[in-house]
Amino acid sequence: MNDFSSGTQALVLVLFTALVTVTLLMCVMAGPDRDDLANFYTGYLSLTPLKNGLAIAGDYISAATVLSTTGIIALSGYDGYVLAVSTALSLVLLMFLLAEPLRNAGRFTMGDVLARNMSGRAVRIAACLVTLTATLPFLVVQLSGAGSLLTFILDIPFAAGARTACIVIVGTLMIIYAAIGGMRGTALIQMIKIVLLLGTSIVVAALVLNRFDWSPGDILRAAQHGSGAGPAYLQQGLQLGTSTGGRLDFVSLQITVILGVACLPHITMRLYSAQDVPAVRRSMSWAVGTVTTFCLLVIIMGTGAAALVGSQHITAADPHGRTSVLMLSQMLGGAPGSAGATILYSAVAGMVFITLLSSVAGMTLAAASSLAHDLFAHAVRRGQAEPRTEMTVAAWTSVAVGIVAIGLATMVQNWDVGVLTTLAICIGASAVAPALTYSLFWRGFTRTGLLATLYGGAACALLLMVFSRAVSGTPSAVFPHADFDLFPMQSTGLVSIPFGYLAGWLGSRLDHRRRAADSREQRRRYEESEARLLAAAE
Amino acid sequence: MTYADENRYPPSAQPRGLPPRHETYGQNPWPEPYGHDAPRYDSYGRQAPWDASYAHETHRDDADLAALRSAYRLLRRISTLTALGSFVVYVVLSCYAPGLMGSKVTGELSLGMALGILQLVVTFAAVFWYGRSAQRSVDPLARAVRERAVPAGRHAGMAR
Repeated sequence: MNDFSSGTQALVLVLFTALVTVTLLMCVMAGPDRDDLANFYTGYLSLTPLKNGLAIAGDYISAATVLSTTGIIALSGYDGYVLAVSTALSLVLLMFLLAEPLRNAGRFTMGDVLARNMSGRAVRIAACLVTLTATLPFLVVQLSGAGSLLTFILDIPFAAGARTACIVIVGTLMIIYAAIGGMRGTALIQMIKIVLLLGTSIVVAALVLNRFDWSPGDILRAAQHGSGAGPAYLQQGLQLGTSTGGRLDFVSLQITVILGVACLPHITMRLYSAQDVPAVRRSMSWAVGTVTTFCLLVIIMGTGAAALVGSQHITAADPHGRTSVLMLSQMLGGAPGSAGATILYSAVAGMVFITLLSSVAGMTLAAASSLAHDLFAHAVRRGQAEPRTEMTVAAWTSVAVGIVAIGLATMVQNWDVGVLTTLAICIGASAVAPALTYSLFWRGFTRTGLLATLYGGAACALLLMVFSRAVSGTPSAVFPHADFDLFPMQSTGLVSIPFGYLAGWLGSRLDHRRRAADSREQRRRYEESEARLLAAAE
Repeated sequence: MTYADENRYPPSAQPRGLPPRHETYGQNPWPEPYGHDAPRYDSYGRQAPWDASYAHETHRDDADLAALRSAYRLLRRISTLTALGSFVVYVVLSCYAPGLMGSKVTGELSLGMALGILQLVVTFAAVFWYGRSAQRSVDPLARAVRERAVPAGRHAGMAR
């Protein structure tokens, strides 16, 4: 697979160690005071818009985005281009629709936004559960991917033990970042990551274009040839087929991505650490600019991988093409063993490594914050917890979430669990997005409606996902030999997003009928807090 | 700014900010029947008959807030629907009009690819436009609401 000399491996290892050392040092130095909650959750609101924007972009571009999207472009061409566009536009939608009211309504976690007008612990518990169901699958899929990627990069012979060791090492680092660094520490890592990621991607994309004398026509011709699909490479349908069902599935997947990705709690959490509304707007402008640039680069890199590496080699290494960036960099560097090849490969390997580390750390922090703030401080202690206790709990929940994620990732490392990414995005689109839009913009939204949206949307997405074709019934499914694909699609958005919105509406109507006094009270609270929601007026 | 003496307001009639949660429970401060199209801002007229200047202030507050709300709503609708709509049209065309999207623009570049990349490039302009429009239409109104709310907010004694 990886015909590199030991010199390259040594350089890669040195680079990894250097990255780990530097980021750990920064985490310890930037770590929060031990008894200040606002500092732990938001980093004192002290980040400038540029820095916060880079951190948002860093959280947004997960390892799954970098590796899977490049792979899908390399293998499916046009379908991958559409995915890159929808990934970028999802963040744009977050900026236009939710970012500013979210910043005003939120404090530390998603539970703070949803529970701001509603009393009772059930809301907090629901918010925490949905945060967990949205972040844990994402976390597990990236950790288990980290195992196979690191063994590929370091060229460790295939053995279950080696992969488990890689998962445990990455998982331990991620726990340390999240528990010690808090929001400020992870923001620093995200900034380093996004700068490295953009820099390396620009170099790789420039090398690809240079190889073809900067002629897009030549690259596309070579990509059509290399993918083995011919003109079909530049038309929709390679990923999910061109049948009616396949096309509907494709539309559903894209809509789910554009609504769901940016709503995930580890991304919205970064918005609360902006100083004021103009700052959150500027942060989001930087984040959108960075992410869009990166998506353009991903399109070039993926097409380059199809053109230069060829789909046969890519699928031989990984059926989903997740190693295509690495293989492309091997191809571009020149003769194996030359200085250029060694440096380029090490740089790309380092970029993949830091992307993996930072994205899992961000998700662990989001899950742990929700557990500590929503579940412990507000649901268990009813808002009476000492800040110091809450911070200790947050550190320990990071450890707990990390250990659970490591355990699950080790268990599923031999399965093809890419479906978990889809699951997380589907839950984001069908539970988190409806809950946030209703809660921020509909004064008639009630507690029953909120609970129905959160539980109904998440349960619908989860249930349909289990019976979808991504889990069983197709050769690329998790269980290719089993056959319980009652729901004939790969993603659930087409059904579960309308279901989530409908559940919220019906639940609220029910409250208006049955508990008119309660729902009037909630409406009154919404209107009283509207000045704060729209203008940040206290 | 001309504010009436704050201390004359009875504590149960805080016009702004989050009041202490327990205080108004069960008092039903919302006399008209509930409904989606219930008039939203007619309560201030009957709420505080004891002080004409107070009602006047509240009126201006509400007018400011209503202006801010509709400015935000307009901006949000235009920007969100444009972004979402153009993308949905793009995806649906890609799926159900492959002939059109596959037609070559220049060289190997098809219309579908060109539109996809165009959307990414236009994103930069859209974000810039959004920032400018928000600065013009929303920010001044938000500042007005905030400035009016500061004395009342302090009076209510609530912080975030």
